Amino acid sequence: MLSIKSTAIIAAGLLSIGALGAISPAQAVVDCTTATSDTDTCTVLTINTFGDVIEPALVSDYKKLHPEIKLSIKKSDLDALNGTGLYTQCAAGGAGSPDIAAVEISYSGFWRSYPQCFIDMRTLHTTVGNKSATDIKKDYLPWRWDQGVGYNDSVIGIPTDVGGLEVAYRWDLFKAKGLPYKRADVSKAWDTWPKFIAFGKKYMAKVSAADKKKNIGFMDNAATIYAAIMNQGTEKYYKNNGTDGGQLVYKTNPQVKLAFNTTIDAAKAGIGTRIGQFSSDWNVGMSKGTFAVMLSPAWMMDYIKGQAPTTKGKWDIADIPGGGGNQGGSQLTMPIKKAGMPNHKQQAWDFITWYLAPAQQLKVFQVYGLFPSTPSLYTDSDLVGFKDPFFNNAPTGAIYADGVKKLKPIFEGKLQRCIDMAMGSALSLVINGKEKVTTKAFAKGLSDADKCK
Amino acid sequence: MSSLVKEQTKPTLNKRPKWQKMGPFGYIVLALVTFLSLFPFYWMFIVASNGTDEISKIPPTLLPGPRFFTVVSHVYEALPQFNQALLNTVYVGTIVAVAQVFFSAIAGFAFAKLNFRGQKFMVLFVILTMMLPSQLGIIPLYMLMGNLGFIDSLNALIIPALVTAFGVFWMRQVIDAQVPNELLESASIDGAGVFRVYWSLVLPIIAQSSFVLGLFSFLATWNDFLWPLLVLQTPEHFTAQVAVNQLKSSYAIDYALNMGGAFLSTAPLIVLFIFVGRRLVRGVMDGAVKG
Amino acid sequence: MSQTAVSRKTNKPASPWKPAKPPKKLNNPNAVLSLNGKWGYLFTAPFFVMFLIFGLAPIIYSVYIAFFNWDALGTQEFIGIQNFVELVADDRFWNALLNTIDIWLLSTIPMLILSIGLAAILHNPHLRGSTFWRTILLVPNITSVLAIAIVFGQLFGRDFGMVNLIIGALGFEHVDFIQGTTSSHIAIATMIVWRWTGYNALIFLAAMLAIPGELYESASLDGANKWKQFIYVTLPSLRNTITFVLIVGTIGGLQVFAEPLILGGSYNGGDSGQFSTLTLFLFDQAFVAYKWGYAAAVGIMITVIVAIVSLINFVITRRLAGDGK
Repeated sequence: MLSIKSTAIIAAGLLSIGALGAISPAQAVVDCTTATSDTDTCTVLTINTFGDVIEPALVSDYKKLHPEIKLSIKKSDLDALNGTGLYTQCAAGGAGSPDIAAVEISYSGFWRSYPQCFIDMRTLHTTVGNKSATDIKKDYLPWRWDQGVGYNDSVIGIPTDVGGLEVAYRWDLFKAKGLPYKRADVSKAWDTWPKFIAFGKKYMAKVSAADKKKNIGFMDNAATIYAAIMNQGTEKYYKNNGTDGGQLVYKTNPQVKLAFNTTIDAAKAGIGTRIGQFSSDWNVGMSKGTFAVMLSPAWMMDYIKGQAPTTKGKWDIADIPGGGGNQGGSQLTMPIKKAGMPNHKQQAWDFITWYLAPAQQLKVFQVYGLFPSTPSLYTDSDLVGFKDPFFNNAPTGAIYADGVKKLKPIFEGKLQRCIDMAMGSALSLVINGKEKVTTKAFAKGLSDADKCK
Repeated sequence: MSSLVKEQTKPTLNKRPKWQKMGPFGYIVLALVTFLSLFPFYWMFIVASNGTDEISKIPPTLLPGPRFFTVVSHVYEALPQFNQALLNTVYVGTIVAVAQVFFSAIAGFAFAKLNFRGQKFMVLFVILTMMLPSQLGIIPLYMLMGNLGFIDSLNALIIPALVTAFGVFWMRQVIDAQVPNELLESASIDGAGVFRVYWSLVLPIIAQSSFVLGLFSFLATWNDFLWPLLVLQTPEHFTAQVAVNQLKSSYAIDYALNMGGAFLSTAPLIVLFIFVGRRLVRGVMDGAVKG
Repeated sequence: MSQTAVSRKTNKPASPWKPAKPPKKLNNPNAVLSLNGKWGYLFTAPFFVMFLIFGLAPIIYSVYIAFFNWDALGTQEFIGIQNFVELVADDRFWNALLNTIDIWLLSTIPMLILSIGLAAILHNPHLRGSTFWRTILLVPNITSVLAIAIVFGQLFGRDFGMVNLIIGALGFEHVDFIQGTTSSHIAIATMIVWRWTGYNALIFLAAMLAIPGELYESASLDGANKWKQFIYVTLPSLRNTITFVLIVGTIGGLQVFAEPLILGGSYNGGDSGQFSTLTLFLFDQAFVAYKWGYAAAVGIMITVIVAIVSLINFVITRRLAGDGK
């Protein structure tokens, strides 16, 4: 017979142990890292993406929020993702489709014409907040949003980042050659493309003959100027005539000729090293100062940090000639899946809305530099006040926000990418010296573009 | 008298000519060839063990560095399912090898030793099929796999690969060359049925060559990358080459990473080769002499 | 009791004065006739059934859509031979064809010479360690094209690739193996030669070993030195093997795909189309231009070209490599 006191003590003891047990780690969180397909406790979401659209830090964050979801990510080349991937899968009735697919801007015009291949996000509702695409539309830049709207007005994708476009340059190399090197001075010195080319020439004049032989140059590749100028106009290859498909105007749009000829001018002025972007020499060249200037969308900054860590602090960001520009960005879509395949629509929609919400886009910017497509952030002090030490403490948030604000919506049509590649190849012919006559190359570009139809 | 002379010369039927002793030139060439053959693997290892920034040094590093295991851990970081991919490849490769040998041997036997109508046309058909580019049927095959529910499953790699024209052709040659008709003749006269003859007599004789065919099938499956790339979606179902390709597919070309992955996906084959290399050599050479 | 021959089937006495029936024309002269040929159908059935489903059916489908303007997600319009007409007028097709042939020439000819030469060296009975050398020869062949293309892509880099470092050290200017046309073809040809020379050397070696020693004996008795023996004895005896290697090499070479894809980095064959080969062009039209009908037409053309070139190879090597046999 225990005394009341002892009983109370023992009871208290038992209760505390019981309480401890209730919150002890023995009640483990489910671990789905090794799941290969849906189980009772785990759901596997398949994501087809390219480059670094889905960033690792956020994948970890989501895992903490939703340990029962496993994100299975497959990366492909852009053309593979769309050609052997989405298109073939849709043609096979959705066989093999992932739950989520990242569609790059250059393909947005293409996929808008096949909305039947995607789930209409207006019909989906988030678990928390019951939000459908219609509800979140207001959070995004209108022209970025429109890139995810199909011809039948269904919403097929939600915008990720905005590429933006500015110029990353090595201020230390500029300084060493006696050229203006401070952000504001540089931006002023090259506020038009002809001035940019002239600046480049001045730089090249200070490069020794021996260095020139080693292929040291001003910018990595003059060909990048083409895309920059194309995105600074109001029209690219299509004219928005009120119809879904738009009207092809690549043959007559003066912007095309302007972009082409300016690029050739730059190439002929010898300011580019002709190194192909994303080639092995390019990666190396970044660290070694083989070139001092790169036209840089926001996502490029993280790339430079990864490839050339030893150049920290030696880069800066200046405004791009012509004011504003854009390169890249994508939408997250949900392709249709064939009957019988696992249905993850709810989980996929929950993930997409979370990942692309302003809060997460801000984090992606801070960690990786990708510029958000959510305008509410453009006045956010965290974004505007952000300074990047790698880039000499440049206020990258403010700089890119400025550039993005200057962008005018450009209608992207179905054959966008095909025509881009045709013109790009024509440019390469001249830049690599295989075609001396600019007009001939231009004509070839146009005739190859004709074959896109 | 003359017959005596003749008998003396008979045994020299396949004697090789009296060649001069090997001069240094031959050995130099062979050494050079050996070096060139093995250099790419060595280079894979050099880059993988030295890290990406090392490859831009002039003069380039020629010796292995200390960072191999770091790079390997990066490979697994980038693609945690790499081991699974290797296992998948072994699984698919083995099944395909066994199936291809089985179906090719039996068909090759029929073409070599049996007589039936339409045979010549069939053989010609088999040869012609080898001329068709594989890329021609790739899209419809994908759709077919979709209808069968095989997309993203290793079955898509196995089922279409169960038979091979090359295998049939090869087995036909092999059985023709290695299996004497008299043997089969006498067995069948003794009352053995066709299948029995095949199973008990032919198979043991062609065991070596079958093994070699199986090895080549295995290797081909291991190295196949286009079709698996198309058909496999989730990283857990990848095969070795798709896994290596995955490492390639960021914007950044991290050479150490890629070479590390390439090395890891090739090393098992090298190990296998150390054990079976001689048989493969014999197999290639046996298949060459058909006259 | 009767000693006359009896026909097995009918038990009627076989007529001794009827002319012997001519032997039935055999489908397979090497067959063992006592085995029931009907089994042949069963034994070859698995191959043909599987092939029909997974090999032939897709190809027939492709041949079918070659006559259409085929947008798998949109409309499909029958256009007869329009795709083929367009193809013949398409300079990208000719570019791909020329590239393919160029690569094929650059790889096949050196490879033939090298592999026969290697086989000749290996043929020498006084060679020490012959098993070792032979085994090494096969190593390149067992590697994956992807892994090797990654390595060679780096080795052929313009500014920092090993090959160019050597070229530079010799005093020459760096060669752009990626952007140049001939130089990029050389890079690919190098990979092909690297992969196949050893394998084919073994094939030639086996063929050489089968050449009867007497031929060499009588040639040397006639006063021919080693070199002359090689030309007049070895080469003609290799005629069949050369044909075989050439044809197999042609079928493979005209379909070269993975190397240009990985070195060039995209399906369109590089900035000036230098990497565009026939199969790469097929792929480009299917998966970048989304023109499945046109791509199918390319595929058919490839098959036709392969057949023609194989035939030409066959005829030429029959004529060239020795009329003396």
